[in-house]
Amino acid sequence: MNKIMKLTLVLGLIGAISGGTLAGVYKFTAPVIKAQDAKELQAGLSEVFPGNYEFKKLEIKLKSPDPAIQIGDVYAVKSGKNVIGAILKVSSPGDQAPIVMLVGVKKDGRISGVKILQSLETPGLGANASNPHYYVNKEKKITFLDQFKNKKVTDPFVPKKDVIAITGATITSTAVSKGVKIAGEVAYSYFKKGGGS
Amino acid sequence: MKKYLKIIWNGISPSNPVLILAIGLCSVIAVTNSVKNALLMSFAFSFVLIASEIIISALRKAIPNEIRVPIFVVVIATFTTIAALLARAYFSSIYEAIKLYILLVVVNCIIIGRAEAFAYKNPVIDSLFDGIGMSIGYSWVILAIAAVRELFGNGTIAGLQVFPSAYKPALVMILPPAGFLVIGVLVGWLETTLKKKEAKK
Repeated sequence: MNKIMKLTLVLGLIGAISGGTLAGVYKFTAPVIKAQDAKELQAGLSEVFPGNYEFKKLEIKLKSPDPAIQIGDVYAVKSGKNVIGAILKVSSPGDQAPIVMLVGVKKDGRISGVKILQSLETPGLGANASNPHYYVNKEKKITFLDQFKNKKVTDPFVPKKDVIAITGATITSTAVSKGVKIAGEVAYSYFKKGGGS
Repeated sequence: MKKYLKIIWNGISPSNPVLILAIGLCSVIAVTNSVKNALLMSFAFSFVLIASEIIISALRKAIPNEIRVPIFVVVIATFTTIAALLARAYFSSIYEAIKLYILLVVVNCIIIGRAEAFAYKNPVIDSLFDGIGMSIGYSWVILAIAAVRELFGNGTIAGLQVFPSAYKPALVMILPPAGFLVIGVLVGWLETTLKKKEAKK
């Protein structure tokens, strides 16, 4: 009995010291991590909606018509007091894991930009979706994501038709196109119903 | 002093954790598709290994034999979490790419293996040098593998273009199988070098 008590005590003590140390380190790094996240989000938002605008997180939940594609946070893009567009965080099933991206939609129903936040596509194939040096149009230096800029949400968004696919990565190309299309449609119908005005 | 140099050298070559002891290969293969990933992994690994070896060695007389493994795990997990928090705060873009493997340092068999085989039985200073030697041994191997894989698989080293852009990258090099290929070549090379040395003696 005595022995068990001793073992428990030693392990408990070490656990307590470890917990205390971690609490200290967490307290020290948490503000840095938070600031970093906020900075990254801001940079991501202004990347998909270029220009000097203000972004405001909306406390609404938009429903996706496709159960495989999920819509997360929604941000209103404001120029002064007017809402001129929205940015949606969508996740679309990729080759190995969901592709999470930010999709900017202008009020007139055109895509303003797309940025991939997280993905686990095959390096050299599907991962080229977010490669800034992989061009689907080499002459004009258009990347895979660039081609969605100013595209109408009512377009079909089908790879090899109106979207140039990434060589050897049909699943990724389709997943991204579908996600962008759905985000665009959802945001556009939200605007048409008078949302954000 | 000579003794300590010997402990360090032991980790770099004759008992290299990856090439000779062949442990902890999972993370080696996962993080060596680019030099940047390998570099951050080296830092995280070295920090956890050296810090854990020191603490475990300092506590070795107080740690009851029956519960030594849970205590090793608590110590290693603490340092891994610290490393992960620091990496997340200061190297967030690389951290995102390899966070899983940094968290898995907890169960990396090199660290728990060194805790059990060395730190638990040797004084603090010796353990410190064992930690340094093993860290250098691990780091040089993963950096070498990463440099080869990134060069042939992407034409770059640490993101800098080395091969002209006309070079068509050999995709297989940045996919997991090439990790085994490159490790195999390195193991063969180190084993023959060590054998030749032995024969000379």
